[in-house]
Amino acid sequence: MSPELIRLIADSTLDTLVMVAVAAGLGTLLGLPLGVFLATSKKGELFAAPAVNAVLGIVVNATRSTPFIILVVAIIPFTRLIAGTSIGTTAAIVPLTVAATPFIARLIEGAIREVDQGLIEAARALGATPVQIVRKVLIPEALPAITLGLTLAVVSLLGFSAMVGAVGGGGLGDLGIRYGYQRFMPDVMAIVVAVLIVLVQAVQTIGEALARRLNKRLRHA
Amino acid sequence: MNAPVKPAAFGAATAVATPQAAPIIRFEQVGKTYPGRRGQAAVTALRDIDLTVPRGGVVGVIGRSGAGKSTLIRLVNGLERATAGRLLIEDEDVTGLDESGWRARRRRTGMIFQHFNLLSSRTVADNVALPLEIAGAKAEEIRRRVTELLALVGLDDKAGRYPAELSGGQKQRVGIARALATRPSILLCDEATSALDPETTGQILALLRKVNRELGLTILLITHEMQVIKEIADQVAVIEGGTIVEQGGAFDVLTRPQHPTTARFLESVTGVTLPDYLAHRLQAAPSPCSSAVVRVTFTGGNATAPVISRLGSTIGVDVNILAGRIDAIADRPFGQLLIGVPSEEPTVSAVLGALRSLELDAEVLGHVA
Repeated sequence: MSPELIRLIADSTLDTLVMVAVAAGLGTLLGLPLGVFLATSKKGELFAAPAVNAVLGIVVNATRSTPFIILVVAIIPFTRLIAGTSIGTTAAIVPLTVAATPFIARLIEGAIREVDQGLIEAARALGATPVQIVRKVLIPEALPAITLGLTLAVVSLLGFSAMVGAVGGGGLGDLGIRYGYQRFMPDVMAIVVAVLIVLVQAVQTIGEALARRLNKRLRHA
Repeated sequence: MNAPVKPAAFGAATAVATPQAAPIIRFEQVGKTYPGRRGQAAVTALRDIDLTVPRGGVVGVIGRSGAGKSTLIRLVNGLERATAGRLLIEDEDVTGLDESGWRARRRRTGMIFQHFNLLSSRTVADNVALPLEIAGAKAEEIRRRVTELLALVGLDDKAGRYPAELSGGQKQRVGIARALATRPSILLCDEATSALDPETTGQILALLRKVNRELGLTILLITHEMQVIKEIADQVAVIEGGTIVEQGGAFDVLTRPQHPTTARFLESVTGVTLPDYLAHRLQAAPSPCSSAVVRVTFTGGNATAPVISRLGSTIGVDVNILAGRIDAIADRPFGQLLIGVPSEEPTVSAVLGALRSLELDAEVLGHVA
């Protein structure tokens, strides 16, 4: 394998990592408050706003039900507005974030809904405000589950990031399609697949270890 | 055997009267109705509740699940709101209080729960610190107070542990420390010992009694176990179907229950039943050589008279003790005894007369051959 090819693989891996990391970071930044709100705004809940909850729910579902490759193309004007271009690694971060945010929001909503209602009642009985309940009870208690959810989200984003190669997004997927498929270089394809497998394994292992560390429920005296 | 227990055994107990202090919590005709959902009828959880909790007292509300006791206790810290009547706490009418007013009140009202409701992600010390953080206390003050509280509940050595590493009794101690952190005047106990074994229950009740006496804390507790009422309450209210069916001093209610629900709750605690081998042979009419089974109930004052030996010496009758139970309720002796005496007259009448002249309740349950 030529040094250029090795370089190409290294660069593509880096591109993928940057895309996934930035999209996951932005997606968490946007998805966390959205998820918390979805989990606490139904009737009778801390921030009860059933109408807003219903509308946001529909928006989230709509985004999640659009196949990613369609989403990438459909939001090109929006991508251009944000990134200034619709091609390349930076531009690819926009659709990745748009896809990651509702996904992460739902995962966080699920994690927070799993928190024992008794803890919310206890915090209310201590005089906590709704914001204090979210910050001091719901998020810390849901953290192990949120960590596992984010692990799942990052793994999904690795898959999505390979698809943005189809629209000139760069990264490992792009490399696999241009070299491995279009130039008939099966060795490149094999390496791309291998690198992706290693990345997914690494993310999964780290995520699970972190979640286990954060989970204080399974300890025994 | 003589009558139950000499008063000396109870020490100063008889001096501990029901606190006569001004009420700290007062329910006046309080009701709670949940609006019906989607065409269903509204549900009335509580109706016409009149209940007074004296400052420094321990008041127990007993009822089966669904009787409305959970709703009742939650009215006191605004987790539920009354829909009728008036509720006064510490001389403040809280009936129309808004959420932020309730938050301020809740910081002066501690609450402990059946399932403890501790944060699994926080250590013991940080769980106890939570109410102080919520109230905006300074780090230094929080540290000092947490140390104090953990010493009070006897968990100094567990400060850095997580709830998952503790036993049920230890978890409830953390719950108590947390509830006391902001120096409340009222402690609400929501089935606080129902998830604990009898021995641990006793320890937790002893701790509650200690904080009641040492800190002058008023305790309102709900339970479905008469044992809890008997151990700790000085006043009791029996709730059924959303209304209070009987209330009064714990000793009076437990020794002379007026309502069938109360009596049912009491069966397991103070009731004395005939051993099976005798119960099978119990018949309504006397027969030659049979014994009459008499239930004698001792309460308070007369519980100290040497009754059985007096029966022997005054009417010269042989008394056979079949079953018995002597207890303390609200720190006063109470007991029941089943005795057997010869069925023939006039012995039975003489025995009943002698017992009644000592102001003991005596009734003939039947005869065994």
